[in-house]
Amino acid sequence: MSEHYRFSIRAASAAIAFALTAGTALAQVDLKPVPYWKADVEAGKLPPVAERVPSAPLIVDLEAKGRTIGTPGGTLKTMVTRDKDIRQMVVYGYARLVGYDEKYNLVPDILESVENIDDTKVTLKLRPGHKWSDGHPFTSEDFRYWWDDVANNEQLQPSGPPDFLKVGGELPSVTFPDETTVVFEWVGPNPDFLQSLAMASPTFIYRPAHFLKQYHEDYADADTLAAAIEDERSSSWAALHNKLDNMYKFDNPDLPTLQPWVNSTDGNKIRHQFVRNPYYHRVDSTGQQLPYIDTVEMEIVASGLVAAKSYAGETDLQGRGLSFSDIAVLKKGEKENGTYTTLLWPTGVASQLAIYPNLNVDDAGWQKVLRDVRVRRALSLGIDREGLNKALFFNLATPAAMSVLPESPMYQEKFREAYAAHDVAAANEMLDEAGLDKKGPDGIRLLPDGRPMELIIETAGERQEEENALQIITDNWKDIGVKLVMRPLDRDILRNRVFAGTTMASVWYGWDDGLPQPFTSPSYLAPRYQDFLAWPKWGQYYQTGGTAGEKPDLPEAIRLMDLASAWEKATTTEERSEIWTEMLAIHADQVYGIGTVNQAPQPIVVSDKLRNVPERAMWAWDPGAHFGVHRTDEFFFAAE
Amino acid sequence: MTQLPDGRYVDDAPFDADAGLTTPERADLDAPNALLVWRKFRRHKLGLISGAFLLLCYLLLPVAGFFAPYAPNDRHPDHQYKAPESIRLFHEGSFIGPYIYSVEEVLDMETYTYKYIPDTDTPLPLKFFCLGDQWQVFGLIPSNRHLFCSPTEDPIFLWGSDQLGRDVFSRILYGAQLSLTVGLIGISVSFFFGIGLGSIAGYFGGRIDWVIQRVIEILRSLPELPLWLALSAAVPSNWGPVAVFFIISIILGILDWPGMARAVRAKFLSLREEEFVRAAEMMGAPSGRVIRRHLIPNFSSHLIASATLSIPAMILGETALSFLGLGLRAPAVSWGVMLNDAQNLASIEIYPWLAIPMIPIIVVVLAFNFFGDGLRDSLDPYES
Repeated sequence: MSEHYRFSIRAASAAIAFALTAGTALAQVDLKPVPYWKADVEAGKLPPVAERVPSAPLIVDLEAKGRTIGTPGGTLKTMVTRDKDIRQMVVYGYARLVGYDEKYNLVPDILESVENIDDTKVTLKLRPGHKWSDGHPFTSEDFRYWWDDVANNEQLQPSGPPDFLKVGGELPSVTFPDETTVVFEWVGPNPDFLQSLAMASPTFIYRPAHFLKQYHEDYADADTLAAAIEDERSSSWAALHNKLDNMYKFDNPDLPTLQPWVNSTDGNKIRHQFVRNPYYHRVDSTGQQLPYIDTVEMEIVASGLVAAKSYAGETDLQGRGLSFSDIAVLKKGEKENGTYTTLLWPTGVASQLAIYPNLNVDDAGWQKVLRDVRVRRALSLGIDREGLNKALFFNLATPAAMSVLPESPMYQEKFREAYAAHDVAAANEMLDEAGLDKKGPDGIRLLPDGRPMELIIETAGERQEEENALQIITDNWKDIGVKLVMRPLDRDILRNRVFAGTTMASVWYGWDDGLPQPFTSPSYLAPRYQDFLAWPKWGQYYQTGGTAGEKPDLPEAIRLMDLASAWEKATTTEERSEIWTEMLAIHADQVYGIGTVNQAPQPIVVSDKLRNVPERAMWAWDPGAHFGVHRTDEFFFAAE
Repeated sequence: MTQLPDGRYVDDAPFDADAGLTTPERADLDAPNALLVWRKFRRHKLGLISGAFLLLCYLLLPVAGFFAPYAPNDRHPDHQYKAPESIRLFHEGSFIGPYIYSVEEVLDMETYTYKYIPDTDTPLPLKFFCLGDQWQVFGLIPSNRHLFCSPTEDPIFLWGSDQLGRDVFSRILYGAQLSLTVGLIGISVSFFFGIGLGSIAGYFGGRIDWVIQRVIEILRSLPELPLWLALSAAVPSNWGPVAVFFIISIILGILDWPGMARAVRAKFLSLREEEFVRAAEMMGAPSGRVIRRHLIPNFSSHLIASATLSIPAMILGETALSFLGLGLRAPAVSWGVMLNDAQNLASIEIYPWLAIPMIPIIVVVLAFNFFGDGLRDSLDPYES
């Protein structure tokens, strides 16, 4: 399946400046009116379409992408499982300053163009005439407001501007030469900057200034602001401002947005409605403003019901909330109802299920054992990945150690195969060598301190997959004299126990991003974050600047740390690629996370009437934003 | 007996003026309580059948491994989600004894389910009293003997198999070992506390009574679910499933005793005013003896009936907790654990046999209820 997803790598070339320019190969098109707004335009409530879209809109050549030109209209029904997941509309909508295209190249989206000189000076060019969803112009003033009055305002953001803007701890100089230009300049290269703007959950570096100024102490009239604070029962103007300023949470219908659909329902509801943004900046080659779909209806249901409701045909587009084990049911419903199709998309996580031996576990005896690389290798060799793949994934996943997927340019077969074969003899030999050669009467090895080798693996207990996989691994590990004890916990309890060093080993997905490019920051491979469950305390040490946790004390971990900082200083793609490869090699060799299988298919339910949804595509959070990179605004409903 | 010429019968035995008129019924009236109870219980057909069924169930528990063809956690990787298969007797019109067909597993990539294609030409007669996986009689004596086994490499799944290819039938039998005994242990604990503390409170009254009443009220006011969450997190994770199970039944019992204690106390409050209690006290019987010899036997019928009626509640409690993931957990096997695995749409739509453990739960709970009903009706034989 891999050949479908070979990415072309955009070279973030050094020395020469490169510019990303939006696909405006087509000549300016004649804009067609949007039927949904016909009445409003006629009544004079909305200006005609030509005045709504930017004077240089992003023109999408659907046919060049292998898609068909659609017809506007219709309501898309989808489901999420938690109240706060209405923010998924920002993810699915995926209007970013720069975004990934379906081949994972970074291209300007909201921006007209980006000029990048050595990653040190980045000039963002806005589209002239671009407007917020309330019709107010979107200009460099919105960036300035964010930079000066939000990010650098101590009351609004006590921690200051976000970290990805800092190079060597120093903030960029941000200038606003004219209405449509914003320039970021650093002392050194900041290769992470543009990627960060394209994330599924990005840091928005602009704000609807005209709207938020009403709630900003420096701009608002003191009396009206005091009244507004009183009305909303907020403790201060900053609290009120932050409460209303939810570009990602998407829960404030009054906040103007640039996304394809605008939230039109307030408060906690079971059903949320999102209406098309009349000022959206993308049009198709026939001059039809996108999105094609008029409204999106998002229903909040219990997580167990997503599959059942999809089965009953109550959704038009669904990926979230469905898991591999639902495939059989969905296929059955597909046959019986005939209203939808179940597509199987490969997933972008590095491993569907990985075991993380905790190198920072409190128990000194166990810590010594788990830090022995031979033990981790033996545990990995002791897993029958083929059997697991067959039992749980109908052989549709790929048995693999935890490494990047073949779609990543840094992929190497030897990383995937590192200690991933099922070799009981070799595993036993390694464990014997590691000083675990004594066995108790039940065939379980004894630790050097005489305790039986009972490895307690804690799980979040959310997926049945985990439980079944651990059941199989329990049987596998019996052959190498290791007793696996599974302990299901709650997600938050599990994480807190890991962070505190109580947990011996835990089970989670592999790295979220299994598809890194050389320009993707490799900091998640280094002991920088406690979320990587193998080294919670080293991560804490980095995250807190040394006030909590422990300093990494294994040579390989220190090397990873050095490499991650070397990447930040690197200037060429080759250099970054090399650093990535070395870091991946360390991971493959040291088996910090024991991967099982990856590329397990994710079922995607698509209504038979919905068009332009790719047959096969990558289901990934970052980069990918789930449906985001596949551009939901280009999906449309075929006429009956 | 002599027949007189005129056709009358006369008893040969000499007349005994001292014999009471009631002698013929004396044996009945003097019959031990148990016999009377039994006579009355015999007439309660439903209770009788349920009692016999439960007795059989409990007798089978220690030898469940004999009837189960496989160990509960035995995986058969090539036979996942296999539907229940029937044992046939007649092949092409002639009786050849119980047999099955061998099947071939095929993954249907259209539906993403496994299909099993039987080879209907060659019947494979079942083997009986054959050797198979090891199991232990009473958990002590190892044995390899099974009632029946598959004649070939292909496993036999009477009630189908689950995702990992484990035999549902075997798992239900082994699951019964935990599911049926959790109730008994729980009830013992609950009775021990309930009768002990309830009788002390009821008999002595006063300050002790007040303290016990308040403890009961506190226990009753505790929200059960969060308590359970906390307790299940507190059990050390390297404990074996049986130890966890034991703790769980004890906890179930500890939470359950207040109801029993209240009933016992109420009964004691009224009984302690009776003359026979006063008599015993005046003769110098110590409190312990009064409680044990005079008071408790007076309402043992009530106790036994309420015990049989609480056991199903305990079984359901275990099932509910395991279903929620708070009680027993894999690799332990109980009916609740099995149902926990079956709680998704696929199990209802495509693999309905995974929900079979519901049937034994329903049957056993009903049986206990009928049995308890029968006992309650018959335990007071002097009452009509």
